[in-house]
Amino acid sequence: MVILATSDNEQFNVDKEVAERSVLIKNMLEGENPIALAVAFVYMKLNGSFIRHEDVGESDQSIPLPNITSPVLKKVLEYCEHHRGEPLPSGDTDNADDVRKRTTDISEWDQKFITVDQEMLFEIILAANYLDIKPLLDVGCKTVANMIKGKTPEEIRKLFNIVNDFTPEEEAQIKKENEWAEDR
Amino acid sequence: MDKWTILEPVRLYASNATGLRTRTIAKPDLTTYIGRLPRDIHLLVLTYLPLYQIPAYARGNRALSRLALDEKLWENRWFNLFTGREELWKALDQLETWVNEKEAKARAAAPPTLVLDTEDEFGDFASVPIVSARLEEVEDFSGFSNVLSATPASTASSQSQFRNRFMKMHALLKTLLPNLNLAPHLILSNMFSSTTSLRHQSQILHILLLYISPSVQPFRNWQSLLNSLKTAIDRFEAGLLTAFEAADAGKDDERMKEAAWSSWELWNDIQFGSEWEIARVWIEKQEIFYETGRWDSLKNFTKEESLDFGAMDEFITRLIQVIKSQGPIVARVFPSIAYVLLMFAERIATEVIAEYISPLLAKARQISTQVFLKATAASFAQSLKVVDVLIEIAHESVSRLNIEDVIYRMFEENMDDYLDEEIESVKTELDLICKDWERKVGWIHLLNHSRVRTAERTARFLDSKNPALLKRNVLTSFTNVLLLPVTIVPRTVGAFVTTGSNVAVNGIAMLNPQRWGAQTANGYSSNLISESHDYFLDSQDQDDEVVKETRPASLAESMTSSTLTNNSMDSSSINTSFDSFELLLSLDVVLELIHADREALKRVETFQNYPGHYGQKVRETIEELFILLLQALSERHISPGFSQATEQMHTYRPAEHEETTSVAPLLQFFELVHIGDTIQSMIQVYFDKEMAPHIDRTDFLNNVVREKKRFENSLDDAVAAGLNAGTEVLMNQVEHIILTRTGAREYYPQEGAILELGPTRGCREAITCLEKHCKLMRGSTSKDVLEVFYHEVGIRLHAIIQKHIKRQIISLEGGFQVIADLNAYHTFVTTLKIPQLSTDFSNLKMLGHVFIVSDAKDLAQIVRDVARYGGSFRPEDIYEFIQRRSDWKKIEKTVDKTIATRNVTPGPSLVYMMLLPPNGTYI
Repeated sequence: MVILATSDNEQFNVDKEVAERSVLIKNMLEGENPIALAVAFVYMKLNGSFIRHEDVGESDQSIPLPNITSPVLKKVLEYCEHHRGEPLPSGDTDNADDVRKRTTDISEWDQKFITVDQEMLFEIILAANYLDIKPLLDVGCKTVANMIKGKTPEEIRKLFNIVNDFTPEEEAQIKKENEWAEDR
Repeated sequence: MDKWTILEPVRLYASNATGLRTRTIAKPDLTTYIGRLPRDIHLLVLTYLPLYQIPAYARGNRALSRLALDEKLWENRWFNLFTGREELWKALDQLETWVNEKEAKARAAAPPTLVLDTEDEFGDFASVPIVSARLEEVEDFSGFSNVLSATPASTASSQSQFRNRFMKMHALLKTLLPNLNLAPHLILSNMFSSTTSLRHQSQILHILLLYISPSVQPFRNWQSLLNSLKTAIDRFEAGLLTAFEAADAGKDDERMKEAAWSSWELWNDIQFGSEWEIARVWIEKQEIFYETGRWDSLKNFTKEESLDFGAMDEFITRLIQVIKSQGPIVARVFPSIAYVLLMFAERIATEVIAEYISPLLAKARQISTQVFLKATAASFAQSLKVVDVLIEIAHESVSRLNIEDVIYRMFEENMDDYLDEEIESVKTELDLICKDWERKVGWIHLLNHSRVRTAERTARFLDSKNPALLKRNVLTSFTNVLLLPVTIVPRTVGAFVTTGSNVAVNGIAMLNPQRWGAQTANGYSSNLISESHDYFLDSQDQDDEVVKETRPASLAESMTSSTLTNNSMDSSSINTSFDSFELLLSLDVVLELIHADREALKRVETFQNYPGHYGQKVRETIEELFILLLQALSERHISPGFSQATEQMHTYRPAEHEETTSVAPLLQFFELVHIGDTIQSMIQVYFDKEMAPHIDRTDFLNNVVREKKRFENSLDDAVAAGLNAGTEVLMNQVEHIILTRTGAREYYPQEGAILELGPTRGCREAITCLEKHCKLMRGSTSKDVLEVFYHEVGIRLHAIIQKHIKRQIISLEGGFQVIADLNAYHTFVTTLKIPQLSTDFSNLKMLGHVFIVSDAKDLAQIVRDVARYGGSFRPEDIYEFIQRRSDWKKIEKTVDKTIATRNVTPGPSLVYMMLLPPNGTYI
């Protein structure tokens, strides 16, 4: 069992197998591997969540996940639980084969799972990115892509919570530049 | 719109994206957020975004527009489409020229009166040449195919290469789109002019198919476009099929090839895995599938229900001929990646060969198991011939493994039955041989029981001057026989050939030393001749049938003289056949067993390259066969034989026999040990030659290796047990000899009788007997066993001699006789080369001295001198011996007194004693 602690100080007891869907946690638990450990450290440090050395690999101590809240982690664990036992994607996932296999399809269960409000969706994506759960991250991004589909630029801005920083000339130029792909 | 050309997005928004590739590992960019998500996640989202949505996305804000230009992204998209399909780039170039030409024509035709269904903006059509023109400035004209050389690594120099390429392709393909909205039957005719080659058409359709896909989604209505594209492709395929058939009918290889390759282009992507229509049609048209009626597999049986595969030969030859004529066509017409040859082979295997074989095997099964086994191995070996031909045709395009697999899979259904049957049959056959043997043993044993014991025996190995050499000869011939080929496919080609296995039987039979005298000339010459493939053998049964043919004498002699000069057997005695111990163990039977096993093994070996599950089973069967042989040999033949021999030795009573120097059962037993040793060597040879290639000999966990070890152990045990009993018998005999042959006053001669200082008769005979038997054992068992045996003999002899001396009354003169005997025993024992025994016996020799010391006081001194006897005897023991002196009554008191006082000075007698050579002999 692995204990995960969220930013709102809630603790989750999770089967090692389930927790290890997260490559980040997996690498941490395999603490003997110096490279994995170093990567985990650097990663944690960069994300401002440094874990003391003693914590690593000791399963009876909790692993703090300072940028994940309990509702999000609950959701993420639900996903991990459902997909436990499936083969993890290989470490180097950016090869051509993998890219080719990538489709926009989302499985039925995942589709249902990811049907959440926009706020939660982004939280899940961020958590999946942080925990390094690639399949979940993909599901999230596909969902976002589907949401963008058919939206106007203004709607897209709203979705991503960004402001239009173009000058009118710039915007016109960008419009022209991408006109070729447009299909009205 | 013309102003588009001015735009140079690359320079304005030079992308410094590091791309997707390093996303998973920590990097500073992670913290760069655009809105609520990090930049990397935005990029990931973007990979899933439909192409038509990108313009809207790019207009979100500056950051998003920069992402939309990210070159890595475009590169991914590009390779996503074209990895493994690089030849399509060329087709794109071609399309480009083609579209341009069309454009030129359209413009020439001037006023846009083109009747086109314009769901697209009409203006787009006009803009196409402009777009292409603009692109020409960015890259050179043959840009698509250049990518082949321009690897992704070099993209840094031309930063938006892939995006530009995409733009170009998009523009090109867009010109084709209007056609897709037409009625299905018009799509193709509108899209391509009649001059476009089929190959090119198929490539363009292929590109469209890739482009209008869920992973690109270039247009909003891509799904409906895709559907109509698919119907168009279906029609296209149908058209190709007709074209192909027409070309096939006209024997036009080139057109067949074009149609086939065009069809494959599309087929491979759409319906990957299902059977390719064109190939199926072509294969089905092959005549070979319709001539099954011509072949009657039952013709492979002769009237006597034995096998003659001449018919199958013909059948396979025809198949090979067909494959040879059609195979090259397959290679020419179809793309090698389509594995049409394999499909063809598979069809032949399942529909022609399997159809041919199954009634054959069914019939064979009805006849007998043996025939079934032979037929299975034979038909498999025949089928495998097709593989070689196929491989020859396929060159490198199809791996040998795949082709072999076709036949293997075809044959799989017969394998379970066959392997089980093979083991069963070997079991029964071995059992039969053993039973037969047991029956013979029982019968002759009953008949000859009394005679056998006393019969004149010829101990083959023991009689020959050099048993080791004889054994070596047997093994050499055995090895030669093992190397004879076993013919798997039975044939009758005139009277001059019989099956190889028959030769092996005869050859092996000739090995039996029993027959050497009578038949060797024949056996060896037949061996020789068979090896030169020009042999004639009658249907000689292996039991005592005399072969009538006369061989060229010189040939026969040259063979036999070399191997058999050492064999001193006479043939008449051989023909009297069973001697008592050959009743128990027979090389003949062993040879039969090995032969039966070998035949099965050879059959199974036909299948030894089988892959996968059945390969495992085949290997297991091979091991099983060898194990069965070992078990049959050791449990049914060797163990009973040896135990019976041991039994016989136990019942041997020396007193009942006249002759003394040799112990008949022991002699026979030694013969048995020799035979056992030969059998073991034969098994070793068989193992080395036949089994070793199939197993890892160093793997001590391997069943075969373990079983072989067990076999050797059980043989050793049997020999050891026999030796144990043998020692008993031998020593009883020796004691008997000493007892009966020693005269009453041997050691107490009449006063004044002439002393012949030599060993007594009893001693001489005992030693002869011992020597004879000890020598026999040399070279037949391991050194350890031999040493134990000698040791045992020595110790017992020691005891017997002591006992014997204690029975005698010995005078001073007789004392010299005792010493002479003891010396003789000592000499014998030293020849055994067991150090412990030699010292024991030299100590025993010293004991003799107590009988020739006349002075009682000196005697007492000797009795007390423990060191004298090397610790072998205590004073009490010596005291016992001196009681056997004839003058004991006279000297008893003096000796006792002297021993009691322990105060003795050496007297003259002792000085006399010192003069005796301590170790030397008197005689």
